[in-house]
Amino acid sequence: MSKLGRLGVLVVGIALVATAAGCGKASSTTDANAKVTLSYAVWDKNQVPAMQQLASRFTQDHPKITINVQLTPWADYWTKLKAAVTGGAAPDVFWMNGPSFQLYASNGVIRPVDAEIAADKVDLSAYPPSLVDLYTFNGKHYGLPKDFDTVGLWYNKELFDAKGVKYPGASWTWADFNAAAAKLTDKAKGQYAIAANLSSAQEYMYDTIYQAGGYVISPDGKKSGYADPATIAGLRFWTDLIKNGQSPDLKTMTDTAPINLFESGKTAMYWGGSWDAAEFSTNDYTKTKVDVAPLPKGQKQATIIHGLANVVSAKTTHPAQAWQFVKFLGSQQSAEILGQHGVIPAYNGTQNAWVTAHAEFHLQAFLDQLAYAVPYPVSKNTAAWQELETKYLTPAWNGQVDVAKAAGDLAAAMDAALAKE
Amino acid sequence: MRRPGLLATHAALSLGALAMVGPFIWQLLTSLKTLPHATRVPPTIVPDGRWSNYTQVFHLLPFGHQFLNTAAMTAARTAGQLVFCSMAGYAFARLRFPGRGALFAVFLSVLMVPPQLFIIPQYEIIARLGWLNSLAALIVPGLFSAFGTFLLRQFFLGLPAELDEAARLDGANPLRIWWSVMLPLARPGLVALGILTILWSWNDFFWPLVVNNDPQKMTLSAGLASLQGQFMTDYPVLMAGSLLAALPVIAVFVVMQRQFVEGIAFTGSKA
Amino acid sequence: MSLTETMGTARQARAVRATRAPQHRPRFSRARGAEALWGYALIAPTGLGLAVFYLWPVVQTAYLSFTHAGPFGGGNTWTGLANYRELLADSEVRQALLNTLEYTGLGLAGIPIAVVFAALLCRPGMQGVSVYRTLFFLPVVTTPVAVAMIWRWLYNGDFGIINYLLSLVGVAGPHWIADPRTALYAMVVVGIWMSLGYNLVILMAGIQAIPKHYYEAAAIDGAGFVAQFLRITVPLLSPSIFFVSVVSVIGSLQLFDLVYVLVGGAGQSARTNPAFSRTETIVYLFYDKAFQTNDKGYAAAVAMVLLLLIVALTAAQFRLQRRWVHYA
Repeated sequence: MSKLGRLGVLVVGIALVATAAGCGKASSTTDANAKVTLSYAVWDKNQVPAMQQLASRFTQDHPKITINVQLTPWADYWTKLKAAVTGGAAPDVFWMNGPSFQLYASNGVIRPVDAEIAADKVDLSAYPPSLVDLYTFNGKHYGLPKDFDTVGLWYNKELFDAKGVKYPGASWTWADFNAAAAKLTDKAKGQYAIAANLSSAQEYMYDTIYQAGGYVISPDGKKSGYADPATIAGLRFWTDLIKNGQSPDLKTMTDTAPINLFESGKTAMYWGGSWDAAEFSTNDYTKTKVDVAPLPKGQKQATIIHGLANVVSAKTTHPAQAWQFVKFLGSQQSAEILGQHGVIPAYNGTQNAWVTAHAEFHLQAFLDQLAYAVPYPVSKNTAAWQELETKYLTPAWNGQVDVAKAAGDLAAAMDAALAKE
Repeated sequence: MRRPGLLATHAALSLGALAMVGPFIWQLLTSLKTLPHATRVPPTIVPDGRWSNYTQVFHLLPFGHQFLNTAAMTAARTAGQLVFCSMAGYAFARLRFPGRGALFAVFLSVLMVPPQLFIIPQYEIIARLGWLNSLAALIVPGLFSAFGTFLLRQFFLGLPAELDEAARLDGANPLRIWWSVMLPLARPGLVALGILTILWSWNDFFWPLVVNNDPQKMTLSAGLASLQGQFMTDYPVLMAGSLLAALPVIAVFVVMQRQFVEGIAFTGSKA
Repeated sequence: MSLTETMGTARQARAVRATRAPQHRPRFSRARGAEALWGYALIAPTGLGLAVFYLWPVVQTAYLSFTHAGPFGGGNTWTGLANYRELLADSEVRQALLNTLEYTGLGLAGIPIAVVFAALLCRPGMQGVSVYRTLFFLPVVTTPVAVAMIWRWLYNGDFGIINYLLSLVGVAGPHWIADPRTALYAMVVVGIWMSLGYNLVILMAGIQAIPKHYYEAAAIDGAGFVAQFLRITVPLLSPSIFFVSVVSVIGSLQLFDLVYVLVGGAGQSARTNPAFSRTETIVYLFYDKAFQTNDKGYAAAVAMVLLLLIVALTAAQFRLQRRWVHYA
């Protein structure tokens, strides 16, 4: 055989071997008594050990069902999920969050589970009501809540001591906050009271909007709340901090992320989610210097609550088994395992493990806020108007436009986007 | 007369090299720091000597499996492209056939499409072929390259036409000419395409990430990408892992760059 | 058949051609027919592969651009030219196109830099040139996350080293990445830096293919390095330089990653950067519309417009090549 012929055979051979490696893949059968493997898509690497522990616990109770935990990093999770759904290869069970939920529910990509909840008598009152509502669409429930987080006021004790300011507490109001901010700013030392972070609405502007008595989106999901004067007051809370020099300007916050500023002692306070507990307890600067308190009160008390849910794909070939797994994931037993791995489990009464995991912080502050927590504002295409938020508010944060005008324009654009849904 | 010239060359190259290698050194330094030191402002330069970041990489990833996957995928893609692209490049450069210009334009148009456009359609094709989570999915789409075809066509165009004309006079068919005459002559071009394809395959993380679910089936770069969390990323470990993953490619380049040096000398042939 | 035999035959071929009287060649001959078949056969593997995996998606995208597409593949409703009409009126699209074109034009500065360095790195008789080559190659294997981290640190308005050096001479440097006046140029520098390694690989290969005896002859005639570079290297390297510029223009027009990691980065969305509107590229806009805001039909229209633009600019480059590219 000529040299070329041999080469051609080699190339074809590679292709064939590759194909053979690809085929011969046992796909799960639909026979109810056969062994079933479910795919479970997650995005947080830090929770993978917990997920695998839950998976093996589940298989112990259900020997015919194996769970394949599949990690996709957060940055690519939704892109990959959309590709998988479009290509007909969606995972059987996967994590869902508030902003994306309605998109998936309204397009029939995930299964409602009301029938199964009723049949298996799952008690939905075991979860915070705002979470159950977050994952309800058109009166139907999709999946079970997995965990939740609220936002608290992290503060640097050392910087507070240096300026003689009393630590924040449950009684703090906006007035207390602003008074402290004035004292904690030290231009000469390059220290600020807080970074008025525009990148995380959940931890910053949404909270002050609700504390001021405003709203982001109307309950029927058709109208934007940004034209409301109370909402604008909530936004002005942050732009004033920048204007007064108590917060670094937007360009500085773009160059250095607010959390890094806080961990480097450049800012005295940081409004952050409960998930920051893990980070702050390992960072050698913050682990001895920071603590946390509930958010201050404006017109009212408010904090944003959000949480993930485990949902079932509408096209799964094993709906019964998938539901069994979701039900297990939503059980008290799972919640207790989850609580030991750094997240606040959603099941009532299982949060203690999380609180005591980092005793150096007053983590109870996050749970105390549950009573007045506001669910994360969402709609069918949350991403579209969240983008508008950054588009219109960036000039306001940058001092180019007055925040009232920016918010007015945003409200108009957001109403147009909501009308398209 | 030569001394100042060489000195100027060294100066220019040193400055250039410093600019080019700076971030790599930064990556090395960061890989030896603790996470807080890596993200603190103002940045710290001196590392903490944290070699445990490197061992941590092996705990977090099935490094061995992913390395083999990456190596297999890279080798197959490179071999495939060298063969197929040189065939097509030669044909476009030297053979006449109706519609050649138009076909080449169509090939080129693939280059002009933003790669992000291909993700979902290619995923659907792979899913339909049943190749999800397999080596085939990693290899097959990467065997075909408009870029490689274009690159080698330019190379072949730069070679004197008499050579293959002569071979044709001697009665060889185009395939033989491709194999015996053009490939040896285009060796620098093939080496260049080889290096670029190796680089591109080795660093390709998005496609392997999307098309695979099992960490054992993923490539190194996809595995490293999964080290990034939603709120927190252990940057030093990520840097350490990336450095480990880059070592084979650097080694390949160090070896291959000698191929550049051994140019082909046309003795006695005049333009 | 060995290479020297081929060379020998080549010499004969030229000699024969020189003495043969001009003859009338038949328009179509069996030889031509066979040659055409071989042509198709040789391009077939790549061609078929590209058709299946690359051209078909383009056709699909073209179709999508005339629809209002559902976010998960189903539910596409035909809307005709509506997406294109919206596109023409969209100021964000216009700005993104301008940004992209400006970035592309400025990025061309990287090519002469690459050509000069390639020539230097191939300079014979130099000590340590292989060490230099490896050092120049390293950016290409440096992970993009590290690249983004260090450039963001260099460019940091408050703590970055560039501004620190400037402060030593009394100049207060701007927030390079966050200031709309400077962000695009900061990105151009990083872009040139990143592509230098790739371009060097191609250009060095091209230089090595230049017959050595040209340089020998020139040296005998007394030409120094610079003269040899300008009279021999550049003209004979022009097919490779052409390749590098076409690919560079296409790559610049498709810029996405840098916006993501440099304008964004540090865990923040690129959109909250005050300089975003001056650095958003058209592909970033496409990705955003397709995957974030779920407007796949509109995104497809954007992609088609970009494709047309790239085709036009590439065709122009091909036309212009007759003026400056020397093929053997």
